[in-house]
Amino acid sequence: MAIDERNFLKTIAKSLGRTEPLAKAPKRNEAGPPSFWQEQKFEANDPFDFFKKNLEALTGRVELAASADEANRIIEDWLRELKAQSVIMWDHPELKKYIKLEMSGIKLDYWSPSRDENQLVAAAEQADVGITWADYAIGYSGTVALLCGPGKGRSVSLLPHTHIAVFLKSNLVPTMSSIMHDLTRFGTEKLPSVIDFITGPSRTSDIEMDLSIGVHGPFRVWTVIIDDQ
Amino acid sequence: MEHRPDLHLRDRARNGVQDTQMRQAIQKAVDRLSSNKAKAAQELGNWDAWREQGKRIRKHTIENLDYYLAQLAENVRKSGGFVHFVPTAAEARQVVLDICKKHNAKMVIKSKSMVSEEIHLNPALEHAGIEAVETDLAEYILQLAGEPPSHIIVPAIHKNRRQIAELFSKVAGHPVESDTPSLTAFARKILRKKFLTADVGITGCNFAVAQTGSVTLVTNEGNARLTTSLPKVLISIMGMERIVPTFEDLEVLLTLLPRSATGQKLTSYVSVINKTRNVDEKDGAKEFHLLILDNGRSRMLEDDEFRQALHCIRCGACFNVCPVYRQIGGHAYASVYGGPIGSVITPLLLNDLDFWGELAYASSLCAACSSSCPVKIPLHDLLLALRHRRAEAGYTPFLEKTAFNLWRRFFKLPAAYKFAMKMASIGQKPFVTNGFIKAGPPPLSNWTNSRYFPALPGETFRDRWREKQ
Repeated sequence: MAIDERNFLKTIAKSLGRTEPLAKAPKRNEAGPPSFWQEQKFEANDPFDFFKKNLEALTGRVELAASADEANRIIEDWLRELKAQSVIMWDHPELKKYIKLEMSGIKLDYWSPSRDENQLVAAAEQADVGITWADYAIGYSGTVALLCGPGKGRSVSLLPHTHIAVFLKSNLVPTMSSIMHDLTRFGTEKLPSVIDFITGPSRTSDIEMDLSIGVHGPFRVWTVIIDDQ
Repeated sequence: MEHRPDLHLRDRARNGVQDTQMRQAIQKAVDRLSSNKAKAAQELGNWDAWREQGKRIRKHTIENLDYYLAQLAENVRKSGGFVHFVPTAAEARQVVLDICKKHNAKMVIKSKSMVSEEIHLNPALEHAGIEAVETDLAEYILQLAGEPPSHIIVPAIHKNRRQIAELFSKVAGHPVESDTPSLTAFARKILRKKFLTADVGITGCNFAVAQTGSVTLVTNEGNARLTTSLPKVLISIMGMERIVPTFEDLEVLLTLLPRSATGQKLTSYVSVINKTRNVDEKDGAKEFHLLILDNGRSRMLEDDEFRQALHCIRCGACFNVCPVYRQIGGHAYASVYGGPIGSVITPLLLNDLDFWGELAYASSLCAACSSSCPVKIPLHDLLLALRHRRAEAGYTPFLEKTAFNLWRRFFKLPAAYKFAMKMASIGQKPFVTNGFIKAGPPPLSNWTNSRYFPALPGETFRDRWREKQ
């Protein structure tokens, strides 16, 4: 431990009435959400119903697809509606298993680990739509949680004007608690480099408290949920 | 480096009160924010139980801060980051400058960070020839205007759209329309270019997570995501108290913070940054530095009474309910941290009860701040305690001291007190209209300049008591 760090921590320890910094994990009586929150029960379809209601309230779209074909059809309809010229998509096995836009005639880029990073950022910057896979979605707040990593660039959900997140209905959880629980179990080693919780489009009320959508990030966050249940 | 204003609180407050446009804007904003908060709290339910849990977690963390900071540092290093423990603002600035110089940085982009304002980072960067660009829309507006923030959550709330359009038009070199979508689109276009070319990104830190060495950033615009995703080098600066033990604790504070700040269930973006990018990743910082700043906080930690001010999660709820903030606005506080919480921590951080301790008087002690606090900091008690300490330290004005000394003397002796009251009730006569003194002579004019003083009745309580018997 560097000397400045030792001194810094020693000052804190002294302020707390200790001679040396605490080396052993302190005992805890209360951690995490209140018990009533952890013990609450949900109906099977609650996460989906909540998610739809909450994301739509934030101008998002939520479509349930009965099959991969239907999911593709929904996305292609959306791309036409947006008059999208180009799409950037995560190079993610599960996403690619369900969503195949090669035949749609649109310019398609994958965020592939093998590609040059400047080219990828430029492609994401110029793309009209970014498509990602959400490992989790939270009903209670209408949130998609992206675990970013190789093939799963942060820019894809950030630089284009429209972000489409795809996930399975079974990826829906009622509250953030389930995710936090899983992340803790992962252990530090297996954690993704970044977890992005995304709840609706980029927004600001900085000008006269007037809500404005799409200040730095996407104007639209639309979701396709594949029914796997 | 302390930036002490020329005017005292009284005069700064007067300037605020006279700025009608600013007051209207502030009142509209705080009313909207606090009614949104009330709705969100009600919708969640059990708000008080959540607050209690938030308080427990903050208290436990602060009481074991040495342990959790050591754990955080160890985990940040394990995930490839560098940790800098910086005792003072000057050292923090130096560390940032050294990192920027090492990478030969010409431009840094910043997402909103109060702590970077606290250490006066931007002037230091500019001085070293490095362009620092604020990317939060409000902070960008303020940077162009050369003004400090006036609210912790909506920092440019005192500026109207016409003023903002003028600032943007200067940057554009042609007129920019003043409707919100045009203004926002202009900022997006200009700042996107900066994001794509910046060498270093600088952020604050809403909550670090000790167990995993993560830094959590909470924004609505997405500027923190751009700041942490595009430049190759990332620097996050945290006040040493901005930490939680685990992800589960983080959930509690993420439940309290957005609801208390704006009434949202969750902000548009919550980014939990766990490590520097993997070799196969094509965006995100390759090099990460975390600065952990003391800058007066250990002094607060040492103090049993004021330690709890470190529990603050910077939601701004206390600003929105404060009857004083509402009238004088953020600039009257003249500190990076305004509002009730700023009035408590500014004198402590700067270790100055004399000049900055005046802020303890920017309160009516109505306790609205304490009731609004999501982690139950008894702000009005702390403001009262600060006044007490300031009086004990002898910093109250000569006149006030003299007045209370005289009062004490006369109050102890019934005959003298009676005589004094009699004289005062005769002496006040020229100044009384309809039972009130509306314009008194000095020093009473200090009071009557802004409100009426009730006149002493001709008959005292003792007189009446005698009559009734």
